[in-house]
Amino acid sequence: MCAADPVRWTAVGRGISKFVHIRRLAAMLMLAGCALATLAGAAGDKPPRRIAYAPQLPAGEGHELADRSCRTCHSAMLITQQAKDSTAWEKTIVQMEKWGVQLTPAEHDTLRGYLVSHFGRRTQK
Amino acid sequence: MDDLSRRAFLERFARAGVAAMGVGALPPWARAVAADLPSRAAPAGIPDLIERNDWPEHWETTLESLGRSWLTRNDRFFVRSHLPVPTADPASFRLEVSGRVQRSLTLTLADLKALPFQEATHTLECAGNGRGLFRLANTSGTQWERGAIGNATWGGVKLSLVLQRAGPLPEAKHVWFEAADHATLPSVPPFLRSVPIEKAMADVMLAHTMNGEPLPELHGAPLRAIVPGWFGMASTKWVTRVRVEDAPSDNHFMVKGYRYTYPGEDPAAAAPVEEVRVKSVITRPLSGARVPLGTGKVRIQGFAWAGSSGVRLVEVSADGGKTWRPAGFMGETAPMAWRAWATEVEVKKPTSLTVMARATDGSGVTQPLEAKPNLGGYANNSIHKVSFHVRG
Repeated sequence: MCAADPVRWTAVGRGISKFVHIRRLAAMLMLAGCALATLAGAAGDKPPRRIAYAPQLPAGEGHELADRSCRTCHSAMLITQQAKDSTAWEKTIVQMEKWGVQLTPAEHDTLRGYLVSHFGRRTQK
Repeated sequence: MDDLSRRAFLERFARAGVAAMGVGALPPWARAVAADLPSRAAPAGIPDLIERNDWPEHWETTLESLGRSWLTRNDRFFVRSHLPVPTADPASFRLEVSGRVQRSLTLTLADLKALPFQEATHTLECAGNGRGLFRLANTSGTQWERGAIGNATWGGVKLSLVLQRAGPLPEAKHVWFEAADHATLPSVPPFLRSVPIEKAMADVMLAHTMNGEPLPELHGAPLRAIVPGWFGMASTKWVTRVRVEDAPSDNHFMVKGYRYTYPGEDPAAAAPVEEVRVKSVITRPLSGARVPLGTGKVRIQGFAWAGSSGVRLVEVSADGGKTWRPAGFMGETAPMAWRAWATEVEVKKPTSLTVMARATDGSGVTQPLEAKPNLGGYANNSIHKVSFHVRG
């Protein structure tokens, strides 16, 4: 390592095994304390979560159609996180029709247009 | 107090349950140790899980949460369900074992629990973990980042024991796992995966406990497969039937899904997604963290995992990949479970720092700086970079 390097490294491994052991015991203690604390909470409740994407489909032409067609099998977030061009959305819609989604040809086109306009291809890496 | 008497003190302390009194009840040296541990509880207002889909549940664990312990808590373990979670009645549950076997079996949970119980700790990683980081122009599927992974101790029965009782016929080559989950629309194919019989006989488990507790519903109760070293989708949840066949399953999720497909290729002809790829993650410091300069040593730590060959080496770079320094392994180890690693970097003054971690598996394969994206966004094992600030 040259003298100009701003950092110096220390491997941490076997040399800290005793320390790790004590840390593990201390962790058990902390865990025991937290377990007691959480038992008092609402058992069976879902743990808190940060929502990553819009949970609703945006308004616009085709919104109700998308809501009705897609949300039979999954929630809106599976759509609102996607990015696809027209060809890729077409492939998805054809797959979903094969799996039982009922769309007229006009609805098929409206749905594709809606999805492309709101969840189109990513333009930047 | 020497190490041995400290240890004895802590063991007595733990047995007595005095931990509930809190860290303040600890002697000063133990307070220092405890203070260095990340808290088991999430900071107020910051959930440990990221919801990437609410139904069916696709939940990712935050790196902050994963970094707290080698084992991932059941209620913080990532969730990926292809279809809605089925409701299972343990009393009426039956596991059918049939197909290319000498005798078909129908087993209750009690029958399974009467077989020799084994526990093993294995890491499960979703095949799509890191898909969102590929930033593909066209992408399908959940945009996972780094936390669709967890490490748990699974308990149950070795699948080989069950298969031996059924007696696979000579033509038995693959084991299919059928499950209780079904889509809302009947035309949607069921989620079904199969594994070669060699893998099934080697180390696959039918699990009914997770970290010593009954398997949670979200994680496959009452019974799931655990396929060690393979991406998570192989570990079918809510298993109801083990089918022994002479060929792999032709299910959609075998033939079209979970294939390393590149533009212009037919998925059915592409390589299947099976064993995990060597990978590491930095859990401390977190991206954007403000780390105190303190004594001038900044601890870098995380986990690394691989398939059957295990993790041989973890290296960390703080100069953009020009030089790499080996990290040390610490804590527990188990086959096909991730390994905790750590190192320290000495910093002379407040600065901004970017560190990278890369792992090498037992066969000598090292993580790439940037993994080549496949159309499905599977198995992104690109090197993890974390930028943070060291403050005075």
